[in-house]
Amino acid sequence: MITVDHLTKRYGDVAAVRDISFTAENGQVTGFLGPNGAGKTTTMRVLTGFTPPTSGRALVGGFDVFEQSMNVRRVVGYLPENVPLYRDLTPYEYLMYLGEIRGLRERKARAQAVLARVGLSARSNSRIRTLSKGMKQRVGLAAALLHDPQVLILDEPTIGLDPLQVLELRQLVAELGREHTVLFSTHILSEAEQVCDKIVIINGGQIIAQGTPQALRDQLARGGRVVVRVAGDLEAARAVLAALPAVQEAVLDRDSVVVTPADSSADLRPDAAQALMAQGFGLLEVRSLAVNLEDIFIELTRREVGAQKEEVA
Amino acid sequence: MSALWAVYKREVALFFRSTIAYAIAFGVLLFMGVLFSATVTQFVANNTSGFAQQLATADMAIVGMLGTLAFLMFIIAPLLTMRLLAEETREGTLEVLMTLPMHDWAFVLGKFFAVWTFYTFILACTLAYVVMLAGMGVPDAGILFAGYLGAWLYGGVTLALSMVWSALTEDQIVAAFLGAATILVFYLSDALALIANGRGFTAGATDFLRELSLVAHYQETMMQGILRGEDVAYFVLLTVAALFVTSVLVGTRRWRAS
Repeated sequence: MITVDHLTKRYGDVAAVRDISFTAENGQVTGFLGPNGAGKTTTMRVLTGFTPPTSGRALVGGFDVFEQSMNVRRVVGYLPENVPLYRDLTPYEYLMYLGEIRGLRERKARAQAVLARVGLSARSNSRIRTLSKGMKQRVGLAAALLHDPQVLILDEPTIGLDPLQVLELRQLVAELGREHTVLFSTHILSEAEQVCDKIVIINGGQIIAQGTPQALRDQLARGGRVVVRVAGDLEAARAVLAALPAVQEAVLDRDSVVVTPADSSADLRPDAAQALMAQGFGLLEVRSLAVNLEDIFIELTRREVGAQKEEVA
Repeated sequence: MSALWAVYKREVALFFRSTIAYAIAFGVLLFMGVLFSATVTQFVANNTSGFAQQLATADMAIVGMLGTLAFLMFIIAPLLTMRLLAEETREGTLEVLMTLPMHDWAFVLGKFFAVWTFYTFILACTLAYVVMLAGMGVPDAGILFAGYLGAWLYGGVTLALSMVWSALTEDQIVAAFLGAATILVFYLSDALALIANGRGFTAGATDFLRELSLVAHYQETMMQGILRGEDVAYFVLLTVAALFVTSVLVGTRRWRAS
């Protein structure tokens, strides 16, 4: 369990993260989604006890990251971005080294078990420098899993992998999510959508949305525009839709009409369908325009940038 | 303790596997061997015979050799320590280590004891010259003991002083140069004291500079076979202070943006 409560982290005058709050539950994968430089890595560094927060609080596995840093470090498994490793060691030696620093008992058995878990048993005695990028990533993941941590924090684990490796890693993360609290950062939306039980969207150091993938989709679908296709005169249909009181704008877009509501929380679909049918149009399709997280994400991050520009002006 | 021991073992293994470390050891021993040989040859040539002369030869050879080693530490220590922390910072492995349940000081101490162990290995190699001397006259046991104890402590303090810079910068070359400069300041502060005295500085300032000096606590005392508690205390305290600063500097990595 991770609880972040009004957390702020400044480097000098620059606030990398401003007043963020969220939770990550046991037995779930929580996705930490945002563009590069949004504050994902900074937040993770606070949660792993690497860097102290400027203000606010964060609890990891019930321990305060600042007051009880050593306890936090015991319950967290961390895979940093870019996966730093000792290239002169073999995966097995590396795990034995970390295990000794952690003071683990039965290190050999644990090291072998996690290497098997990430599918690296066959290469456990090759020097890390000879391993491929995907294998190195798995060594890093094995290191994070070594002490069977309650909480797993993975910073962009799929970056730089080929599509097949990405798929395997996502599967592994999803599996791990059943036993651990997993916080997983990414800037790839489809990834968050596939793997995560919950998504926290961060941009410019602030959380701009959070919820289940479904809830986030619904949130935008409700406020979104509607696409209408009819059999018959498209321009006439457009005029009918534009005349509706709830409609702000209706424009032609190739073989369909895109309708924007005046009130973004209203659902135009019933009214639009009724009006068109009353005029005798053959209705082919009425659907909400934004249905995937890609749109939500782009819209939310744009909105944020727009707001900042206004602030500056 | 388990963490300190783990870091120590890995680092010692790295030293004894490293070509560069052996190259440094080789260079040092070669240099000292040539000087040792020259000293002995010269004394033998001037020998007017007699047991007393032979003893003096042995003592001079030991003192000369240890003095050379002490002087060379301003090059040796930075070369041995520059990698220790700078590499972990540059490679990013420091971030992994600092999120493990290990205190920063345990990490720093593990590294320090490892490099000190390698230095002890180099120092032990010079005992070969002592064995050679046994054939031509036994050196004074007091000089031998105090000289070697001093050389060991002297090595520790110079390694600790240059290690500070490895914590501060991730550039090994910069760390090495600044380490050499730091050791030279401590080496020369004896001479600085003399200059300060001539320029009319207060007695307090002059004494302070003199007490800071490596030379005043080794070359002028222990190396000559004079064992004083204050010299041992000087080395131990300065080493501990340097390690403390290093540990704090490693800790500041947590606050710095990277």
